[in-house]
Amino acid sequence: MSGALAGLRVVELGEMVSAPYAAKLMADLGAEVIKVERPTIGDPARRRGPFPGDRPHLDKSGLFLYLNSNKLGVTLDPSCPAGFKILEQLAANADVLIHDLPPAEMDRIGLDFDRIAAINPRLVMTSVEPFGLSGPCRDWRSSELTLWASGGAIYINGSAAEPEMPPLKAYGYQAGYQGGAHAAVATMGALFAGVRGAGGQHVEVSIQESVASITELAFQCWPYLGLIATRFGQRPVQPLESFECRDGWIFVCCVEEHQWRNFVKIMDSPDWTDESIFVDGPSRAANWDALRLLLKEWIANQSVDDLYRKAQARRVPFAPVSHLGDLLDSPHLKARGFFVEIAHPIAGELRYPGAPYHLERTPWAIRRPAPTLGQHNDEIYSGRLGLSAMEIDRLRDEAVI
Amino acid sequence: MGLPLEGIRVVDLTWVWAGPYLTLQLAHMGADVIKVESPDRPCISRKTTPYADNKIGLNRSGYFNQYNQGKRSITLNLKIPAALDAARRLIAHCDVVASNFASGVMDRLGLGYDALRQIRPDIIVISLTGYGETGPYHDYVAYGPAQVALSGLSALTGYRGSQPMNVGFSYGDPNAGIHGAFAVLAALYNRERTGEGQYIDLSQWECAMAPLGESILGYEMNGREPIRDGNRDPQMAPHGAFRCRDMAEQMLGRSIDMWVAIAVADDAEFARLAASIGNPGLASDPRYSSLGARKLNEDALEAILSRWTAMLDAREAETILQRAGVTAAICATNKDLDESEHLASRGYYVALDHPEIGRRKHAGIPWIMSATPCAVRAPAPMFGEHTDEILTDLLGYSADEVTHMHKIGALDPTERRSD
Repeated sequence: MSGALAGLRVVELGEMVSAPYAAKLMADLGAEVIKVERPTIGDPARRRGPFPGDRPHLDKSGLFLYLNSNKLGVTLDPSCPAGFKILEQLAANADVLIHDLPPAEMDRIGLDFDRIAAINPRLVMTSVEPFGLSGPCRDWRSSELTLWASGGAIYINGSAAEPEMPPLKAYGYQAGYQGGAHAAVATMGALFAGVRGAGGQHVEVSIQESVASITELAFQCWPYLGLIATRFGQRPVQPLESFECRDGWIFVCCVEEHQWRNFVKIMDSPDWTDESIFVDGPSRAANWDALRLLLKEWIANQSVDDLYRKAQARRVPFAPVSHLGDLLDSPHLKARGFFVEIAHPIAGELRYPGAPYHLERTPWAIRRPAPTLGQHNDEIYSGRLGLSAMEIDRLRDEAVI
Repeated sequence: MGLPLEGIRVVDLTWVWAGPYLTLQLAHMGADVIKVESPDRPCISRKTTPYADNKIGLNRSGYFNQYNQGKRSITLNLKIPAALDAARRLIAHCDVVASNFASGVMDRLGLGYDALRQIRPDIIVISLTGYGETGPYHDYVAYGPAQVALSGLSALTGYRGSQPMNVGFSYGDPNAGIHGAFAVLAALYNRERTGEGQYIDLSQWECAMAPLGESILGYEMNGREPIRDGNRDPQMAPHGAFRCRDMAEQMLGRSIDMWVAIAVADDAEFARLAASIGNPGLASDPRYSSLGARKLNEDALEAILSRWTAMLDAREAETILQRAGVTAAICATNKDLDESEHLASRGYYVALDHPEIGRRKHAGIPWIMSATPCAVRAPAPMFGEHTDEILTDLLGYSADEVTHMHKIGALDPTERRSD
């Protein structure tokens, strides 16, 4: 069975996480993605790791391997005229051109939607930008950390008990992933409009705005109440926090009243649970300092797995604080076939996180490992664009590809 | 050409945040998203602070009103056969059905995929469950914040030497929602080409691991977890949030701490940072002149930087550093976002007239399309606001039939039923 996006042709000029993740989502559903990397240097994700044995190697970076499986890889320097001409030829044959070049870099190399649209009027060009393509911060420098901060996500996280500690970033590349996922959604919307007759178009995605779109109720506290949402304030509901068991940590989660009542039963209804200060959600939130200590004491003697199972048996949504190894060993994830083994010619065989969703008629699938740098140059430049061996040699000598 | 999903109709049986965030994206693109709400059990996001002006009410929660913009609301008590029948008639007019009931509930309601396919052969149905529809834990329950723990993100997030932390909001929800939106759009695109719909089984847990792919792969390679290390980065230093002057105004009698995030990628950027904090010698100081040295002396380096940021407003520090070519950004509060000239110039926040709470700003759409511009077309619906309109205009109920539906309790909360 082929994927939902089989036949869709995507050209990606992406580095690190955002545009590459968007293109990965499409590739995993069957789109053909040609990833364009700078000659010799390649995507910086190749130098980010994690690496087997911590030894850096351009073809063994976990970040690169994960984000670029299922893609074809070519090298190209689009900033020289000969390179840009090849980019135009690639775009002429594509449905999507997705990139994350900063606005100034777009200007410098002449990557302009109207220019590309003149070659291929049905092309969707998606620009994934830190702050979008307009506005006073358009050309600001950015990174994963500063985008998570400027979207409002970091300020609301951190230790509530230690005000001297800084606000705390979520681990990894969450701004990049969210920018990528939102870009993939916007691109699909534009493609859908395209098959219904809208033609091609330019889609721009702001990573800052993608982050600002997902901070739950933090923003709303200002227009609704005139309050600044901080990490120190009282939560609307409790308990909603991790606690330490004798053998690990568990996330204790009682959002609805029946969940709390069932948790009380699991604890064998200790006397203090009858206290009026814990009578309902708002009271438990208001008296969280006291409740937290009582729960801490009880939970400290439990085992994670036992409490997790007891809670779930009563439909209380507790969850273990998983370590990465727990995930790879999970019988549930094994039964669902979540991890997929991919054999890469240089990095070898490894289990990768797989399908986040099952489209039952058009399944998610891995068809090829991540490309080595320039692996598909001949296949694409000769096979697809019809360049001669001599031309390809010349482009290689001139460091265009 | 209008909006990209013009003419697409979605039945939204989801609640809280993950499902609503999925259907919000479709509403932004012009789909007619119809929220089916239980008259007796309004969504808990309608019953959560912040309420506009602190007055409790089903139409006043900022949580609901943010994530349900541009949708319509019909109340149907699915325990009553006539209401279930209305739901089936509604589905016949729809392209997509989204639900986040626990595994098996849709089947028990007679709204399982096979039943829906009888009603509409090319229907696209997505189920968003905590653990997916198959596997030994398929009937386990999970909420968004629990996904942060379950996915491994919590164990990786935290200060050095300290406990696992959350990320400040229920990240598992919007993350599942945005992935679900992509899956639905891919299925719609495929249907446009093949004429066939399909069933989508989305696991929020699996979605939550997707943005941790490289870390899981790292464990697979080396059998080792990264240690929790606050805001630091193994390949950049300094890399963190630094305390600035408190906000000028106080809030509820307490001062508001302000911070600037700084991320220095290489030696050249560090030299610019050193110059802009009035200490250019740092760049040639052997304790800080290379990444390795800066990582080794990161505590001392952070202390130097903090002494400089402490004298400044966060905006000031951000501006000085950006002008000098150093990657920096304030750790924005909701007030900063509201007052951001940049976001205002892009029209990101939108304020539409809501019949009960007036004009309030809400987060808008993080993308711009040139040919089919998307827009937040309406505020979030009031509870059951479109019930009669949908029954009459879309499903062809007569006025008498609608009255009858009200009378038999198919549409209204139990306590409001008069006879």
